[in-house]
Amino acid sequence: MNRNVLSRRVLAGVALAALALAGCGNNDEEPGAGDSSGAASEFADLSGELKASGASFPDAYYQAAIEGFAEVAPDVNITYNAVGSGTGKEEFGQGLTDFAGSDSLVKEGQGPKAGEFLYVPTVAAPITVSFNVQGVDKLQLSPDTLANIFSRKIKTWGDAAIKADNPGVNLPSTNITVVHRSDGSGTTSNFTKYLDAASDAWTLGSGDTVNWPSDTQGGEKNTGVAQLLKQASGSIGYVDLSDAKATGLKFAAIKNKDGQFVEPSLEAATAALEGAEIAEDLSYNPLNAAGAQAYPITSPTYLLIKTKYDDANKAKLVKGFLTYLLNDGQKLAEGEDFAALPQALKDKALAQVAKI
Amino acid sequence: MSVVSPGAGAPNLSSGAISGRRRFSNHLATAFIALSVILAVIPLALVCYYVLAKGASVVSWEFLSSDVPRSPRREGGGIWPAIVGTLLITGAAALMAIPLGVLGAVYLNEYGKNRPLARVIRTMADVMTGVPSIVMGLFIYVAWVTQVGSQSGFAGALALGCLMLPIVIRTTEEILRLVPDDLRQASAALGARRWRTTVTVVLPAAVSGITSGAMLAVARAAGETAPLLATIGLVYTANYSLMEGNTALPMLIFRNAAQPFDPAQQRAWGAALALVVIVVAFTIIARVISSRFAIKDY
Amino acid sequence: MTQTLEKPAPPADKSLSSRGGGATGDRVFAALCVTAGVAVLAILALILFTTTQQALPALRESGLGFFTGADWIANDPDGDGPAGPTFGARAFIFGTFVVSAVALVVAVPISIAIALFLTELAPRRLRAVAVTVIDLLAAVPSVVFGLWGILVVAPALVPVYDWLHGAVGGVPVLGSIFGPPVSSGRSFMTAGLILAIMIVPIITSISREVFNTVPSAHKQAAVALGATRWEMIKGAVMPHSFGGLVGGVMLGLGRAMGETIAVALTIGAATQITANVLQSGNALPSVIAQQFGESSGVHRSALIGLGVVLFVLTVIVNLLARVVVRRAEIRMKGTAK
Repeated sequence: MNRNVLSRRVLAGVALAALALAGCGNNDEEPGAGDSSGAASEFADLSGELKASGASFPDAYYQAAIEGFAEVAPDVNITYNAVGSGTGKEEFGQGLTDFAGSDSLVKEGQGPKAGEFLYVPTVAAPITVSFNVQGVDKLQLSPDTLANIFSRKIKTWGDAAIKADNPGVNLPSTNITVVHRSDGSGTTSNFTKYLDAASDAWTLGSGDTVNWPSDTQGGEKNTGVAQLLKQASGSIGYVDLSDAKATGLKFAAIKNKDGQFVEPSLEAATAALEGAEIAEDLSYNPLNAAGAQAYPITSPTYLLIKTKYDDANKAKLVKGFLTYLLNDGQKLAEGEDFAALPQALKDKALAQVAKI
Repeated sequence: MSVVSPGAGAPNLSSGAISGRRRFSNHLATAFIALSVILAVIPLALVCYYVLAKGASVVSWEFLSSDVPRSPRREGGGIWPAIVGTLLITGAAALMAIPLGVLGAVYLNEYGKNRPLARVIRTMADVMTGVPSIVMGLFIYVAWVTQVGSQSGFAGALALGCLMLPIVIRTTEEILRLVPDDLRQASAALGARRWRTTVTVVLPAAVSGITSGAMLAVARAAGETAPLLATIGLVYTANYSLMEGNTALPMLIFRNAAQPFDPAQQRAWGAALALVVIVVAFTIIARVISSRFAIKDY
Repeated sequence: MTQTLEKPAPPADKSLSSRGGGATGDRVFAALCVTAGVAVLAILALILFTTTQQALPALRESGLGFFTGADWIANDPDGDGPAGPTFGARAFIFGTFVVSAVALVVAVPISIAIALFLTELAPRRLRAVAVTVIDLLAAVPSVVFGLWGILVVAPALVPVYDWLHGAVGGVPVLGSIFGPPVSSGRSFMTAGLILAIMIVPIITSISREVFNTVPSAHKQAAVALGATRWEMIKGAVMPHSFGGLVGGVMLGLGRAMGETIAVALTIGAATQITANVLQSGNALPSVIAQQFGESSGVHRSALIGLGVVLFVLTVIVNLLARVVVRRAEIRMKGTAK
């Protein structure tokens, strides 16, 4: 935790210094942003308030970005309330918020109407499969085993399937406690989408909530799941990398499409992103991506913005914040254990923001 | 006069006459009762110990005056916005509920007495004290937040006010009942109208009891979380306006209780200490007022 | 010698009162008071009406299955599985019932014992201290109990549950009640124990009032006949107080059913129906608290529907309790309070 705070502060300082120093050179990394010193002073002129809500998955990164942005635009007050992707989309559709965070796509009849909003990819991160088993430090799991554990077909740690994935590891025969999200969650949505795609043994479908077997535990938000995993021995659950690391949990290496067991890390997440296909509206699916180094459970996350803002100042604020987030804000991602976007995706995202 | 000693057929009144079984069950019952009292004290002692021990280690002037950190895993930060929110929202709720409750109790005791309407209201006020606090929160969410369109401290105050109202009514009615009738009759004999009597004679005589009842209701409302869940939203910096979203001490504790990060848990303990201090202070002052300034029988 | 009394001048207006204006002042004030009183009824009616109205979309969608269905799926999953959200409250009604039962089983004997202590056994100074302790117990906010429960009690009880399961696992009925414990400690049992601590004050205070109304003549007669203290309590105090005690227990039940936060933090959040109290579950108010912030649309209506169910259940329990207590009071004192 201290390391995170320290490295985040250092990165924020580096970002500021970079902004200041880059004033005299042209930045060929940002074709659309123009002169960076112009960008810095452009932010400084902005003032006003922005309200946002949505996914808890990228919350740690968004809060860091908000604080970083407050240092270059001190008159702007942004509040991001991590209520979950579902409520975030609803509130955005009702006009209660200026932008929303979501890990899952907008469905028909839910949230904002089609054509009135845009997806802006912001960061990506691995969803770890964290566990708490006494005496076990490293675990490897294949998609089928994972599906069977989470649907409670495998009930103890000493099961043959787990042993097969982990030759040579001494597994106790204690009961498995499965932990999932009790609230509607984009993390659940992406995790179950992965299981759907990667394993034929998964029959519970996918979505913000699914019908988990009754003898499983629910935790509220990623942090609630992390807390449960830390307290209950013999437990397994899915948590974003940022919270898992900050809580000190151990996570499993998952077998990806190419048959390699890959541990969740930022490099593996970036590898998954590079293989992913980007749709017209900028939604993309890095789950179960091809590539030997790719971590198969990498989750995208987006910010939803309106195509047209009635209040011109709000439009400027949103544009300013998102431009910051996609440029210097990306440097903060690593400090919070999120993977920055690859160049191509970032350029497309910036172009999307310019459409407001 | 000689003392008559009991004759041969008189009962043996010494304790040796009680059979062993009866004596044993008596001792057992006494032991169980004593054990129960201890069992009631232990959780209270444990809670107080943990709140004091863990809270005191984190509470400081800086803690009480800093803003809430946006990220739960951050060290430091504080609970000032939550303190502001609790004081504002509970204060507003008290301002709404106490006058209304006192007037309602005046109706029940002075005007309604045993009439059917008053009996119904009395029963329903009792029932209302038993309504779960989360239902109050849902009610205000449905009736106010959805109509107005946004969450606000005022909505939370409405929910807490609904919670306080029946408590104030019932405790005030009990106190008004204790005011001797002689006072009312004397006032009426002097020519005062009913309302004048009530306002200038009865209420002042009962003011200590009313105050203590009101403070108990405020203490109860300050500690409630569920009514605020749906109604007040979330902020990280102190908000002095009731018309926008706000946060409160119980909300902060609830949010941080399910976090895995030590700084968040420590903030929760610190906030719990602050909340317990506020609530216990109000409770003790209320009890002191009611016992020291009780209505004297004339 | 007779004193001649000065005859006071007859009053100018017919009504004898001159302080406080005319009758309108009285009428306005009386109207104000009646309105305040009726506000109670109005609020209760509004609660029922508005929440039911908001819950209709979910109720329409699930029909009677809302109350009897065992599944609770908040958003519609894609792929295999049911096509739309499914709302069934059976597991939560079960959970509320189990947690309240555990709380009552633990709290009632203790509360009655404490009330007996306060009325029969305690010397005066100890009585004041004990009353203060009970008052403080009632004053502690439920979120503080929840915080203590989730961070301290639940982890501490895990070895206790393991031992309990080990000890009675083989016994036929007890073995299924104390089955394999959940490893986080958050279970019906933990929530029930915390709840018991919270309802002790209310049952104790009602029991105390009831015991105080036992005529001392009855108690003295029992002692005069040679009864030990326990026999006096059994024979003179208990029969007299039974109705009031039942009412007090029902009030405690009402409080236990409605307690939200402490239960939400300590019950685990599993939608399951099981006889094993050492497992996790969920209860009506806690599921609302857990899921409300993240809900939208039909899901939110369904949660409000759960609130309606909870409201109706607690109102019924409270009404019955008050009726029982009033009836017992009338019998004891000859008149209702």
